[in-house]
Amino acid sequence: MNRYLKYLTGKLKWYILTFFIAVFLNFFLPRFIPGNPVSALVAQMAGGGASSDVLDKLYNSYIQEFGLDKPWYTQFINYVLKVFHGDLGISFSLYPTKVNTILSHALPWTIALQAPAILIGWIIGNLLGALAAYKKGKFDSAFFPLALFINSIPYYCLAIILLYLFGVLLDVFPIGGGYSMQLIPSFSITFLIDALKHYLLPFFSLILVTIGGQAIGMREMSIYELNTDYVRYAKLLGISEKKITRYVFKNAMLPQITGLAISLGTMVGGALITEIVFSYPGIGTWLFNGIRQQDYPLIQGGTLVITMAVLLANFLIDIVYGIVDPRIRMAQMEE
Amino acid sequence: MKLLKTLLKSKKFIIGLCVFLLLLFGSLIFTTISSHDPAEMIGFLYEPPSKEHLLGTDNFGRDVLIELIYGMKTSIYVGLLSGIIATFIGTTIGTTAGYLGKTIDNILNSITNLFLVIPSFVILILLSVSLRSRSLTLLAMIIGITSWPWTARAVRAQTSSLKTREHVNMAKLNGEGYVEIVLKEILPYMLSYIFMVFVLQVASGILSEAGLSMLGLGPSNTISLGKMLSWALLYEAVRTGAWWAFIPPALTIAIITFSLLYMNTGMDEVFNPRLRS
Amino acid sequence: MGKLLTVKALKAYYKLRLGEKLRAVDGVSLTLQEGEVLGIAGESGCGKSTLASCLSGLFFPPLKYQKGNITLDGIDIIRTDKQTLRKSILGKKISFIPQSAMNALNPTLKIEDFVADVMQEHEPDLSREEAIKRAEERLEVLSLPKDVLKAYPFELSGGMKQRTIVVLSTLMNPEIVIADEPTSALDVSSQRQVIELMKRLLQMKITKSMIFITHELPILRHVADRIAIMYAGVFLEVGTMPQIIFDPRHPYTKVLMSSIIVPEKGMRERKLPLITGRPPDLRKRIKGCRFAKRCPYATDECRMREPDMEETDGRKIKCFHPLKGKEIKQNEVI
Repeated sequence: MNRYLKYLTGKLKWYILTFFIAVFLNFFLPRFIPGNPVSALVAQMAGGGASSDVLDKLYNSYIQEFGLDKPWYTQFINYVLKVFHGDLGISFSLYPTKVNTILSHALPWTIALQAPAILIGWIIGNLLGALAAYKKGKFDSAFFPLALFINSIPYYCLAIILLYLFGVLLDVFPIGGGYSMQLIPSFSITFLIDALKHYLLPFFSLILVTIGGQAIGMREMSIYELNTDYVRYAKLLGISEKKITRYVFKNAMLPQITGLAISLGTMVGGALITEIVFSYPGIGTWLFNGIRQQDYPLIQGGTLVITMAVLLANFLIDIVYGIVDPRIRMAQMEE
Repeated sequence: MKLLKTLLKSKKFIIGLCVFLLLLFGSLIFTTISSHDPAEMIGFLYEPPSKEHLLGTDNFGRDVLIELIYGMKTSIYVGLLSGIIATFIGTTIGTTAGYLGKTIDNILNSITNLFLVIPSFVILILLSVSLRSRSLTLLAMIIGITSWPWTARAVRAQTSSLKTREHVNMAKLNGEGYVEIVLKEILPYMLSYIFMVFVLQVASGILSEAGLSMLGLGPSNTISLGKMLSWALLYEAVRTGAWWAFIPPALTIAIITFSLLYMNTGMDEVFNPRLRS
Repeated sequence: MGKLLTVKALKAYYKLRLGEKLRAVDGVSLTLQEGEVLGIAGESGCGKSTLASCLSGLFFPPLKYQKGNITLDGIDIIRTDKQTLRKSILGKKISFIPQSAMNALNPTLKIEDFVADVMQEHEPDLSREEAIKRAEERLEVLSLPKDVLKAYPFELSGGMKQRTIVVLSTLMNPEIVIADEPTSALDVSSQRQVIELMKRLLQMKITKSMIFITHELPILRHVADRIAIMYAGVFLEVGTMPQIIFDPRHPYTKVLMSSIIVPEKGMRERKLPLITGRPPDLRKRIKGCRFAKRCPYATDECRMREPDMEETDGRKIKCFHPLKGKEIKQNEVI
């Protein structure tokens, strides 16, 4: 156990470092290419017909408010301090709403949609993949190309097609949003049922693709494991198929856990775009709004929250991985 | 040459390659000889498919089929260019880290792991947002420089197992330098592997472009498959039932990706005989 | 001493892509007496490992059984159903020490858990604790450290891993152990330890008989009672250890004897220094003697017709022009 704690603290340190670098990139990258977000904002307001005098004043007050008149390192320190106080700034497009407010309303939707879809999809995909490798023959030859095709369809393309099929043509699901417009979010039965109706279609489009991708990986890993020397040796010593299948499943599963960690970023990215397709009230849709309206604080806040969530999920995966794989604990110790 | 010969044994690889080349050359030839301007508005909003316009018109009254062909070309272009860039960066970092080992490996490996956990699309968004105008090439470059980490990781693992081989030791004894050894003794032995990685990078580049376009960060002044989808969504094609505006680009993206993944599977079977049975 | 194992005219091939057959075992007959150690030597690719794997009766794909018989203690191995084979024969009557010690153990299973799995498979009533206790006793008897049981495979050194495998394979006191190049991936001192361990198992009658497969003929001098020389899927010469080691009659045995090779890790393919060429392609039918192409004494007859296995003085040889014998000096044989 002591060993494991050491492994965990090592990982934790690494993630904290990564987090700082992520915050730095989040701050620095948008400033990489010169351009002043405030002028864009003011230009947008100019469209509203304000006089140039008012615009000038507005411009200066914004510059001061966002701290853009200070050198970049001061800006960065201010930014980091603010981030650590949980302050992500004020939205341009919904001025003076705080970005925190927007994102904290959006985050539960995103998590409720993505976490179960990815997790359940991962589990089902792995079971199916192992089954295909084990059964071989007809099951496999029908299953594999299908899984490969589903896996080649990007999340959002499948989402659009499903939305059209079930939302428009068959009209069995609502065509967008997280709940009906006339309802106010609450924990009433009516609202929950309504939310569930809106939930199912995006959920299925996410889980289908996840299943496809995971099944392919697991199938490959299982086939590989089934042909290893240790399986042969176990068979030669008369160990039953059942036990061998258990060995193989566990060992093929381990790379799938790291695989999940690596592909998590891509999966979350795809899922965020799926939100846009369904106008689901999560981070993805807000990010899209922010981009369309050049709302830099909102974009930066959104990307930071996503990065944090992905880092956290990765850390959780590492915790689990350390428990199930004895090798990784040792390897980490030696480093 | 030997590589090609082995590859041609795989049915999956051939099918995938044929589909991909068909789409690539089809769109290339059409866009070269045709006098159509994909941006030309030839009809009204969402006209259903007809004899004149086989896939109808989009929200701007443009011919969807012609847009689709031009979009295919740009999508494949972005995919190939970003794939080349990502594979190049990934291979360079991977071989350097794997071959040199020690401190340099530690540093490069940490950087790679760092960019593996920070989602690349976040960096893509942050970079693209600040660009006033995004040309196709610029976009492909950005995609390329954000998607190398897993290639680097895979190549590093291959390199560190290759470097203990006899012929590498011989080259070392002959006094060959690092660059020479990597180029002559290591890279040729994982050419097939790098090619597989490249094919996957092309697929992921195409998907990244489509994803960015969906977010409203697609290439400026050009048609791409992702942008077609994005317009269709923005202009309510799904809700109004104008399927021709979004089903064709969605399927085309899926088919291109499928052809590439199928190629990859075929190669995997040929190069990793364990998977054959 | 009775016959424990009989193999008669065994043929097995690998089914390759495009329907090609690689005839790795192409008509092998052998007998093993109780208490005997038979060595099988040959270059890599001669089919010796395939032969070993056939003896399990399992025929892992793409390996396929073609014809012939394997009889173990009166049981027809090939025609016994897989369940009986697994439950009452494999690991119990006949056991295997695999070639690749490095990967022969499940990397995520503690040795003691594997011990329990193996023993409970053959004795369903045995508790886990009891199984582990017995394994501890066995290790103690063989003066090996008990704590290997608590370890994961990756925590053991190569030599230790191979010795552990030797113990695991003999936990159920099998009558026969088939050791397939048990020392090939090890350094010299680990090699010696493994061989010593195997000899101890024989001395202590934990296992009675053994088939020891190797590409280094000289190693057999210290373990084998009889030796068979394998080439291109068949035996070329079978005799007692002194006959083969000190008085080889088949030209190939002679070559094999004089090519003492220092084992090198990761180098499976190597040519014999005294003769040129490679073993024949087993995907094609071979005309004449299989060794003719590389044999310095080959005549037209050798190239036309395959010689039969002929027995003289307890030595079997498959050659038209065997070498002249010599007197074996008693002091050589120790």
